[in-house]
Amino acid sequence: MKVGRKRKGKAEIPTASMSDIAFLLIVFFMATTKFDVKEGIKIVLPAAAPEGSQKAETIQLGEDKMTRLQIEADGTIAVNKEAPREIENHELDNIIMKKLQDNNDMIFKVITDRDAEYSQMIRVVDRLKSQRAEKISLSTN
Amino acid sequence: MAKIQKGKQNREAFIPTSSMSDIAFLLLLFFMVSTVFVQEKKFWVERDRWPRADTIERIPRNNTTTIYVMKDETILIDDVPTKIESEEDVMITNALIAKKDENPEIVVCFRTDRETKYGAMSDVMRQLQDAETLVVAFEAQKQH
Repeated sequence: MKVGRKRKGKAEIPTASMSDIAFLLIVFFMATTKFDVKEGIKIVLPAAAPEGSQKAETIQLGEDKMTRLQIEADGTIAVNKEAPREIENHELDNIIMKKLQDNNDMIFKVITDRDAEYSQMIRVVDRLKSQRAEKISLSTN
Repeated sequence: MAKIQKGKQNREAFIPTSSMSDIAFLLLLFFMVSTVFVQEKKFWVERDRWPRADTIERIPRNNTTTIYVMKDETILIDDVPTKIESEEDVMITNALIAKKDENPEIVVCFRTDRETKYGAMSDVMRQLQDAETLVVAFEAQKQH
């Protein structure tokens, strides 16, 4: 009897779908990557008074040149000598716009209470920036 | 008479795709090697804890240093947590003076929890003024 030997087939790993897998992995990485972008409100702080000097020179500015925006601990805002009250963004925009119409070089002094939330200060500075106020001073009481 | 040859037989056009997987894996390796993962830290201010604002601008990363201010007034600079207890506490000033010596154009970015008391921020900003690093950026996320 004739014994037939089976011919061995050549072993092969299919690589045709390799590029599909690789591209899927790339798409996955691209879709899930989050870039740590820095975005925020930029401000230049005033320089500190030189050491050894007495108190910095004090200049009195009237309401026509400087607007005080005092943020209280509860988030209410006092504009100049007015009583503190809750002011919405659009109203704050209008106040700032009016002040800038009166004097384009108006200085806005944002005085934030030490116990007020940081986001309240950001809100006021954001509104000032949105109305293109350029002279902004930050202080606390 | 010369025999006029009829048009050449059209060969099937084909784009070689055998090296496609090599290209894809090279791209993959590039992404994997160039990605820097932000390590989970104990002190961290998540993006959804940042304040919201309309007038945010992009700040180039190359000149920046970040100060984290947590809700409990812990301040993180160079991965070292600290708290400002008194006016004599000048750790932040010293750290920033060193940074300013390295890069005079440095911008200090604040990544602060929106509910932090302003007093803590004010103390840090006073130290910034002492170090003469006056350009600051308050990180915020765009208001929807």
